[in-house]
Amino acid sequence: MTLVNRRLIYSLLYYIISIATFLTLWEILVILLSNPYFPSPLSIFRAITRIAIFGDIDGYTLIQHIYASLERVMIGFFIAVITGVPLGLLIGIFPIVRALSIPVIEPIRFIPPIAWIPLAIILLVGMSRYAFIIWVGAFFPILLNTIAGVKRTSITLVQMAKTFGADRNQIIMKIIFPSSLPEVMTGLRVGLGVGWMCIVAAEMIGGDPIGLGRLIIKYANLIQTDVVVAGMISISLIGMCINYMILALEKRMFKWRVEVTT
Amino acid sequence: MAEDEIIIDSISKSFKQGSQTLEVIKEVSFNVSRGEFICIVGPSGCGKTTLLKMICGLEPPTLGRILIRGNPPNPKVHKFGVIFQEDSLMPWRNVMNNIKFGLEIRGMDEIKAKQIAEKYIEIVGLKGFENYYPHQLSGGMKKRVAIARALAIDPDLILMDEPFADLDAQTRSFMQKELFRIWSGLNKTIIFITHNVEEAVFLAQRVIIMTRRPSRVKAIIKIDLPHPRNRLSPPFISYREKILNMFHEEIWG
Ligand SMILES: Nc1ncnc2c1ncn2[C@@H]1O[C@H](COP(=O)(O)OP(=O)(O)OP(=O)(O)O)[C@@H](O)[C@H]1O
Ligand SMILES: [Mg+2]
Repeated sequence: MTLVNRRLIYSLLYYIISIATFLTLWEILVILLSNPYFPSPLSIFRAITRIAIFGDIDGYTLIQHIYASLERVMIGFFIAVITGVPLGLLIGIFPIVRALSIPVIEPIRFIPPIAWIPLAIILLVGMSRYAFIIWVGAFFPILLNTIAGVKRTSITLVQMAKTFGADRNQIIMKIIFPSSLPEVMTGLRVGLGVGWMCIVAAEMIGGDPIGLGRLIIKYANLIQTDVVVAGMISISLIGMCINYMILALEKRMFKWRVEVTT
Repeated sequence: MAEDEIIIDSISKSFKQGSQTLEVIKEVSFNVSRGEFICIVGPSGCGKTTLLKMICGLEPPTLGRILIRGNPPNPKVHKFGVIFQEDSLMPWRNVMNNIKFGLEIRGMDEIKAKQIAEKYIEIVGLKGFENYYPHQLSGGMKKRVAIARALAIDPDLILMDEPFADLDAQTRSFMQKELFRIWSGLNKTIIFITHNVEEAVFLAQRVIIMTRRPSRVKAIIKIDLPHPRNRLSPPFISYREKILNMFHEEIWG
């Protein structure tokens, strides 16, 4: 057996031990507490299969909830990308844009997405409510990482391009943008993660009876905690999947970056 | 003697650091003829890189002026092939695409650029490494990519900032011979900065020795030796010793 194989088997083993221990301790806790509202792993598993196959009280299945939430997050995230990346590039490249926009952006950045909810309820309707809350969550990681990427651009590379007679456009397109792309991608990954985590907040105020956040809220009102936790776990697993998918993409795209390959 | 390609007319350069001004270069003047091979030696931190950046128009002189073929340096007018002291390869481009960069900036079409790049990959001995990324290359290989990229645009003026400093002795000697071969074949003007006096005597037609900061021209020595030069011949050694002595005067005071 090769060393790599052995290491893989060991890490898999630790993984299983970790999860199994956690679930066992949980199950013991359930027995000790004997509180009917404290859900056990087994009841949560049953809740997940039930919702997945038969749907919830309104008849929506788990896949439909997931799809509705993903769609909303993607719309908010898309708007965050097309606003955050260009603005980040402009702020990073032009000191005047930075000087004019940072005084406004900095204080807004420290308003948590949840604090925007009342305003969104009053001012927005329909999809724009969801999209806005997701956008608030996703925009700032994208913006800040893009700025950081521009700032990290090597001065030597810019000078090198200048000595070949590159104009400002060429320097931006051929040096600054490709050199900041890894940070931009990190921003997209973190932004999508944060946006996804804002889904419960967004669906608290959206009227539609569908979406993973909505599912949690519906069953919280019914005090059926097993479904509540089932919804929470669904959010967690999908968030993890998205994160690892983008990470894998980053590794493929940025082979030239030694940090990601090692 | 051929006409003056570069006129450096009593230039001075100082950097402002807060309330302090650091005088780096003071009233430096010299001319370079077309097709000449010039080496500049001087103690570390005396302003050699700064001088080079002024010659290619990246830094303006504080005082004085530089003329290249009668005009102030401008990369859009003059074709510069600059080899920077530090790593200047784009890590997201492979060897082939790094070498094509200058041609791309100048708007050459893909196919022709590729042909030219291939030729220079061959010259610098990197055949087979076209698809390697900079992080997969050794320090010396990276330097050779930078050299190929600079040569590929067929520059009017080649500016090299200690290009062989991080090569091992064998590669260094090999690259010196290669550079000399390229120079004598293409008859390009080269300004070559080095710490290594032997390297300067081996390559240059004239060696310019700079003083400590604020840096002036201490001496300009014409190396009257035929090529290929023998590093062990008595005249070579006497040139080397003479320049080395001046160099050490500057380092030790
Ligand atoms: N952009 C800058 N701002 C302020 N000071 C600078 C700047 N560039 C260079 N200097 C200063 O100018 C002096 C000369 O620097 P330079 O890089 O030209 O030296 P050098 O002769 O090339 O040295 P070395 O042989 O070690 O490469 C140094 O003291 C350096 O600190
Ligand atoms: Mg230097």
